[in-house]
Formats: sequence, C-alpha cells, structure tokens
Amino acid sequence: MSAPRNSFLTVHYELRPAKQVERRMIIDALRMISLAGFPIDDYQYTGLGSIFFVDFILFHKFLGITDMVNAEHSSSQRRVVFNQPYDFIRTEFAQIGDVIPSLSADKKHLLWLDYDDILRRTHIEDILLAMTYLTAGSILLITIDVEPPGKEDGPEQWRDYFVSEAPNYLESTDISDFTKGNLPAINAGILARVISNGLAPRTNVRFFPLFNFLYADGHLMLCLGGMIGSDTEERYLRGSKLYKTNYVRTDLQAEPFRIRVPVVTRKERLYLDSNMPCSDDFRPTEFEMEPDDLAIYREIYRFFPAYAELLL
Amino acid sequence: MPKQLALAFPRKNFFLEMFTRDISLEDCVLDLIDNSIDSLVRTRNIVISAHLLDSDFNPSSDLENGSFPTIHVTFSTRACKVVDTCGGISREAALTDVFNFGHSKRGASGYLGAYGIGLKRALFKIGNHFKIESKTAHEGFTAELDLNKWAAHDTDMTDWTIPLKFIPGAKSLSKAGTSITISELRQEVLMRLASGAFEKILRDQIAQAYALFIDRYVKISLNGKAIHPNPIPLAQSSELEPGKEEFEDDDVKVTLLAGLAVRNLKGEWVHERAGWYVLCNGRVVVPADRTDLTGWGEASPLFHYKYRGFCGVAFFQSDDPLALPWDTTKRGLNQESPVYQRAKRRMSGLARPVLSFLNRMYPSEPAAELQERRLAEEIKPVDIRTALTKATSTFRPPIQATQKARTVMVQFKAKIEDVDRIRKFLRQPSWGASKIGEHTFNHFLKTEIAE
Repeated sequence: MSAPRNSFLTVHYELRPAKQVERRMIIDALRMISLAGFPIDDYQYTGLGSIFFVDFILFHKFLGITDMVNAEHSSSQRRVVFNQPYDFIRTEFAQIGDVIPSLSADKKHLLWLDYDDILRRTHIEDILLAMTYLTAGSILLITIDVEPPGKEDGPEQWRDYFVSEAPNYLESTDISDFTKGNLPAINAGILARVISNGLAPRTNVRFFPLFNFLYADGHLMLCLGGMIGSDTEERYLRGSKLYKTNYVRTDLQAEPFRIRVPVVTRKERLYLDSNMPCSDDFRPTEFEMEPDDLAIYREIYRFFPAYAELLL
Repeated sequence: MPKQLALAFPRKNFFLEMFTRDISLEDCVLDLIDNSIDSLVRTRNIVISAHLLDSDFNPSSDLENGSFPTIHVTFSTRACKVVDTCGGISREAALTDVFNFGHSKRGASGYLGAYGIGLKRALFKIGNHFKIESKTAHEGFTAELDLNKWAAHDTDMTDWTIPLKFIPGAKSLSKAGTSITISELRQEVLMRLASGAFEKILRDQIAQAYALFIDRYVKISLNGKAIHPNPIPLAQSSELEPGKEEFEDDDVKVTLLAGLAVRNLKGEWVHERAGWYVLCNGRVVVPADRTDLTGWGEASPLFHYKYRGFCGVAFFQSDDPLALPWDTTKRGLNQESPVYQRAKRRMSGLARPVLSFLNRMYPSEPAAELQERRLAEEIKPVDIRTALTKATSTFRPPIQATQKARTVMVQFKAKIEDVDRIRKFLRQPSWGASKIGEHTFNHFLKTEIAE
C-alpha cells in the first residue's frame, strides 16, 4: 500500500486508442452478457475514475448502469468531485482495497481494478479480497502495466522483483523465463494463480475467464477479466454469443488478444469501413496497405474510436 | 486361506512418552482449567454461548452469593494441583468417558473440551502419580494411579482401565468440585519450574486465555494469588470505531472486529500486543498474531512495525467444539478448516481500512500535521463486548478535508562545534540540537521579520 500516483496529471486518458478499443470490446461483451440474462444495468460498477471518468460515462451510456462507486485516493479531492459526470456516482476517497470489503453481498458487481502501474503486492491483496467479496454473477477486470520492472535492469533484477512482490505465485524462478517478451505471460500466470487462490475457500463458485487483452498506447498493458459464478452462471454464459467473438479468451494464460491499432487517415478509414467486414483476400485498390495491418483493422474496426478536434 | 489380521493396538508407551511431546507444560495446565470450566457449564446449566459476548450480562446472583466458583492452581516441586468448585464430575462420566482417549462418536464433548485428550495428556506430561477426587452435589469418586506401574501391563484391552473408588457427594453444588493432584513430577517439569519464569508465563497465559471467563463465571488463582483478566487490547473513540462483521458458516458463528489497539501508559502502541486475537468459544487460542496464520502477507500486507496500532479479534463459536478451527493443543489453528479459510480472508478485508489508516499515519515524507495522528490520540480502551454492540460496519475514519498543511518540518545539518557555541552562548547546556535550531529560528523571526 504505497502512496498513490496521480497518473492523470501526466497521461491524458481520453487519447489512448488501444485502451478505447479495449473498453468498447468490454462493453460489447457486457451487452452480450446482458442479453444472456444477466441484469448488467442493475450491477454496481466500482472503478478508478481518475478525473476523466471515461469508463463511468461509457458504462452508463451504453449499458445503463446507474449504481457507480469511484474509489479515488488522491489529494485533489475537490477536483475529483467537480469532474464527476453524473450525480449518482459515489466517490469514496480511499484506496480500492479499502472499498472492496464493503461491496454489498446483495448486489452483483462489475469491478475494474484498472491499475496503471506494474504488479505489486498490494494488487495481489486487492485481488484476493475481490475474490472473497464478489458475489456470483459479478465480473472482475484487472489491468496492469507489464513493462519490465526497472528499465535499466535485466532479467535477474526482474526475477528478484517478482520473487519479492509475488513469492507464492510464480510458476518458475528460472532466469531464462524472465525475458522481456515473456513478462506479460509471467504477469498473467501470477494473476491467474492469485484469482484461483482467492476463490479456493469458496466451494460454490468458480472463475470463468473472458478477457485477456494485451495492448500498448505507450506502455504494454495486460487486462484480464471474467465472471465469478456457479454452474448456473456458466450455463447462461454458454448460452450467449460471447464465445463466438474474436476477442473473448477463456484461458487467462493462453495467448492474449492483442489490440493493435493501425495508423490510417480519416479518408482511408471511410474507404476501409465501406468494405468491412472484408474477405481474407481483400486489398485496397486506392492506396497501399500491408495485409497484416488490414487484418488487424478488420478485427478492431467496430471498436476503433474516431478522434477529431472539437472547438468547444 | 483364513483371513489374516494385523494387530492395531494402542500402546501405553505412545500415550505416555510420544503423545505428550506436542504440547507445552503451560498448555497442559490450561487443558485442566478447560475441564473445570466445562464442569461449571455442565453442572450449572450455563449457556455461555448466549451471553459470552453480551455486554449487559451480569453473573447471576447464584454465582455471586459467596459461592462464586473457583479454580485454584498450585505448583511446587512436590506436586501440581488444580482444585475447583465447578460442580464435579459424575460417576457415570468417570466410568464411561473421562478416562477414555478421545470421545466416542456419540459421546458428548464439552464447551472448551473438544477432543477428550486434554486431561490424560496433562496427567501424563506432568508427573508419574496422580490422584483425582471429584464430588458432585450427590456423589463422588476418587481415582489414583502410579503411571509406571500402570504402563507395565499392556497386553490387551483389559489393561486399559483405571480403578475408581466411590465416595459420598459434596451435599451442595457450591462445594462440589474436582481436585487433581499430580505428584512425582517429571524431571523436565522440575527443570521448567526451576527456571523461575514459569509461574509468570503461566499466569500471563491464563489471564489472556480466559479473559472473557475470569471474574465473570469463575475466579482463578495461581499459587494463592488471584489472576486478573488480561483483556484484548482493542480501543476506540467516537470517530474511530472498530469494523465488525458477523456470519454463520457450517454451524460456526463467526464474529470479527478490527480496529486500533490500546496504547500503553507512555501513549505508545506495543508491537508485541498488535495483531489478531483468535478465540474459540471465548477462549483465546492465538493471541496477537502477526503471521500468515491470520492472513499477513497473503490478503493482508506483511506485518510491519507501522501496523503496531492494529488490533483484530476473531470469535468462533459453536455448540459443537469439534466444528471450531482450533488444534488439539488449543494453542494453534487448524489451517485446513474450511470455516477458518473463509474467515481468514474476511479478517483481511475487515483489517484493510485500519491498515490504510495506519499507513497514512506514517507517510514516507515526514508531515507535521496529520488528521490520523490527532484521531488516533483520542482512542480509549474498549471492552470487546461493548465494541460488539454496534451495528455491522467497516472501520471508517472521518473523511479528511484536503487542506494545505499549516506546518512543515525543518531539518538541516549543522556543525557540532557551531551548535555547541550557540548552546554555550545561550547558557543552556541541557538543550538538544533541535531545541537550539528551534530557538534560533524563532529568534530570527522575532528580531528580523516585522509582524
């Protein structure tokens, strides 16, 4: 539980296209979950709103959620309250881990532990508490930075870091595993084991993984998520169209869905969109585009935000 | 071919020599006290579970009228005695249950006695000879045994009996009770007694383990001196009340409290008293735990010195003591207990806001004014039964209004000889460096800067 960092002072949340694609995919999935019989609009959303409240706005607009708690641990309390977009958002000036134990046992929850730093002990504590208090049918999302701990350091220091922060959750401490490219998998492995450890004392529920995103708007970020539920919830999920989407992942430790956002101009987008969803052998006739970029574009175009300057 | 049967007999040597190794001498005495309290519960029909945690409960007049039950423990190099007026053991129980190793499946366990081994283990651990005399109001018995002689005969199950002699009862319930005398103390027990620290350790352990029983249901003395309860060091103020959670799990009622700890006379929190106190049916099983046993380093952070202001209490209560998560020594927890595994996570959840509060009290950057410190100075000790009367909630300190700090720490290095020169100039030989720094700062303010 170290001092909080006010990342909103350095990062402008609204201009992160990959993150935005991720949010929209999550919303897409939540709508399918809702259609499968889960009353998502009655869920309590608990998140880290910062001062932009982007996910709060989207979840309200697209999912109809009106029961929202913002856990904020910053010294700019008046600024946070001033920026609350809706009256119904309740801001708790506390760390998210202080708020989790008060999550009502009478509600279903959507909890997003949207950390912007690398894995720390305190995140593990938060996740264990989340797995203790979240009711069946609740959805948990965890986002963490999976860049190497300490840029200048090498695998040995990275290993030491993870051994010190997550000693009980490492599958291997073999130095050859701690390559930069393998760090997302190491993080995912730790989080998956923390989730199952957290649920172990609860014999009536399991965790059904749904999300395993990897993306970079700057730093490489990993987002894992899924639903806590019994056989009943599993049956409902199985009946949904979720598992037909390209982005849902049912294994937290398998290859993640990589969100990549190709650089395309507005004019190119209009052209590409008019041809979407395209066949595998489609190629633009008016301009050059690598087949890889085209494939990526086809995967995300429905969720791709359009940015334009507005003079307000 | 006829069916072959391998022998699977119990051996007396196992119970006398091996079985006694996993428990301390102190815990053996506590086991004997457990038995006395169980007699009390049984003979006076006290429903402890109904009011153990009830702040309004007063011992009934029956208990108060000069006949308050007592347990006197005495230790000398000749003998260890536990003499109680807790109602005694019936002949029927003595004949069929008390001396068995473990209760039968149908057999009734007590309120604190769960396993049916405490008495025997204590007798075997402490000395070679014991005499038990027990009287209910109506009947009585004695049992006397030389263990070396008893152990010498171990060929079949007929050797596994203990002779009883029937004697008359005590005539009144207030005089009824049990007296256990263990003599011919074992060499290792004599060594512990000779160490000089044993009596103090035992006294402290009794005071802590039975804090909810002493002077409420029973008086306990050790070597003639009354033992006073050592309450769990929970504190609160009107603005800082402990968080509380209650739930039922597999016939066990779990009640959790987490808040700040009592400070000592110097106003300091005592590291050794911080942590979780785990109680089973009102008896403290684990005091002041700061290890992974109670979730530290798992769903709670690793215990750190700055958390020495934390006090948590976990009560597990059940009419079936076997459902409780204690181990057979009652000095540890059965970590595999499903009830305990679930409760442990909730203990961490309840502790979390308290630990965040303590974190804020000790920020990495020194700050002169902290609301947390002011709030924490106002806490007073609270009886845990009183603390329990409030509604279910979390530890929730008042929200700190963001305001600019009005003071700041000023720290700098100065040459020792310069500080000495100022000290000499001021003719204040007792002033420390910081006092001199403060004085010179104020002097500058007063003389150089106009109001």
